[in-house]
Amino acid sequence: MKRLSIIVPQALEVSEFFYILIEGPSAMIYSVGIVGAGTMGTGIARVAALSKFNVALYDINETVIHNGIARIAAGMKKSVERQQLSQEEMSDALSRIHPRTKLSDLSHCDVIIEAVLEDLRIKKDLFRHLDADVKAETLLATNTSSLSVTAIASGVKRSERVVGLHFFNPVHLMKLVEVVQGAQTSDETMQRAIEFGEKLGKTCVRVKDTPGFIANRVARPFYGEALRILGEGIASVEEIDRIVKGEGGFSMGPFELMDLIGIDVNLAVTQSVYEQFFNDPRYRPHPIQRQMVDAGKLGKKSGKGFYNY
Amino acid sequence: MKTPVAPKNQLSVLIVGDDPLVAEFSEIAAAAKYAVVPPGSIKNLRPVSGKISIALELSNIDLAQKRKNLEMLDRSLPETTAILSSSVNVSVLDQARWIIRNHRLVGIAALPTLVKNTLVEVSPSAFTSEASVDVARRFFASVNKEIAVVQDRVGMVLPRILCQIINEAMFAVQQDVALPEAVDTAMKLGMNYPSGPIEWGEKIGFTQVCAALDALHADLGEERYRVCPLLKEIAATGKFWGK
Repeated sequence: MKRLSIIVPQALEVSEFFYILIEGPSAMIYSVGIVGAGTMGTGIARVAALSKFNVALYDINETVIHNGIARIAAGMKKSVERQQLSQEEMSDALSRIHPRTKLSDLSHCDVIIEAVLEDLRIKKDLFRHLDADVKAETLLATNTSSLSVTAIASGVKRSERVVGLHFFNPVHLMKLVEVVQGAQTSDETMQRAIEFGEKLGKTCVRVKDTPGFIANRVARPFYGEALRILGEGIASVEEIDRIVKGEGGFSMGPFELMDLIGIDVNLAVTQSVYEQFFNDPRYRPHPIQRQMVDAGKLGKKSGKGFYNY
Repeated sequence: MKTPVAPKNQLSVLIVGDDPLVAEFSEIAAAAKYAVVPPGSIKNLRPVSGKISIALELSNIDLAQKRKNLEMLDRSLPETTAILSSSVNVSVLDQARWIIRNHRLVGIAALPTLVKNTLVEVSPSAFTSEASVDVARRFFASVNKEIAVVQDRVGMVLPRILCQIINEAMFAVQQDVALPEAVDTAMKLGMNYPSGPIEWGEKIGFTQVCAALDALHADLGEERYRVCPLLKEIAATGKFWGK
């Protein structure tokens, strides 16, 4: 039989005061902690708050969090203008997001999602701290897109509760979440992570922890072959993009997309997948990518990439 | 030497080659009011050859048969008739060596289902005349397609990219990273692909995908293009493991 317990968190907000938790495999998630108030962290916070979760948004400095919350508010305001959201829903969601600058303030959360820099050492440290601070049943999720969930969980005592929740940018528009099972992740953790993802209105796919998971791995040839075709002089940047859209029905060509993502970011993902596969030639980056980065042509954000902006 | 000219009254188009492709191109040509000469008529081509405005050779898999078809077309059709040949798995230059009047040979990227989209890749060999490329351009314009002229290389552009995506998806399934449906869902919802790579492979035909990858592997000689064993098996048996 399931036990019922009442936990009163340290947090002061009235809305966060009482939690009824059903322990066990289907433990309910009421409160979401997010570490990192960058693009992905705030994107996830926005979706979670709109799905009626209370969100503790953590970052090391208050300015970053406030800027993050301001971005969330601005984004929601646009949705209100487009009549995709009511004023009440917006106010309710914003009132659910609480800035936090101490990690220990996340200890009451039922799920914590990490969205910090893609740096294995930083993430490993963070999860070790979280594991020690938070209650035993809290799900610990990483939003990593290119690091190994297994490696991130490697210093964690209760590593069976560490899972990958890979959201896509922009989080409020992209329906997909890759739920990544590390070598230590339990089936129960997977189940709870999928249920949580579905409560956020997302479509969850189960993935085993392997380099690039599904989307970033299977998409490698989209860029890699296009770069080789360009490098071999078979067609130009503009022609390849036109062909991929016109003949393939893709909404964007590979070069437009690299410009949008950031050529440096795309190269970093390629390199990470390549290295994790121990230099399997299928994932080898292309010299053109390196040269673009060296030249400071990073795509849209730098004003110049494969195209001029 | 007479160079191919654009057909004045766009009389008829002769289409030979692999099964789904012949049907797809026939449908598109017929919709644009071309008289489509049935592929079976290649054996008794002589009586109809005078009326044929343009010929399409759409074999990708059996290259020996492709060669026979091209030789037959080259012998039977007047040298003013352009031949558009699918050049996904063999370069236009290699095909040009099979025939005598190779100035009229133009490569096109033909993989099943792709011709339903709005653009067709076209590729001349070193022997192809400007006039022949122009015939290809006018033909595709008459069936409402734009063209992109690319260099003559195995796999051309989109088939090379797409088949490699399908191959990678198959490797992921083979390694049990995710179920095939999950791979398709991830690529559609996470990357906005118009179709999941595995269902796409199924629509194109795994045999066609396999043949394109084999050709790239042979042409470029790189491990990178090695066909996923699961893909090979599905191409050979027509079904997934355990399904």
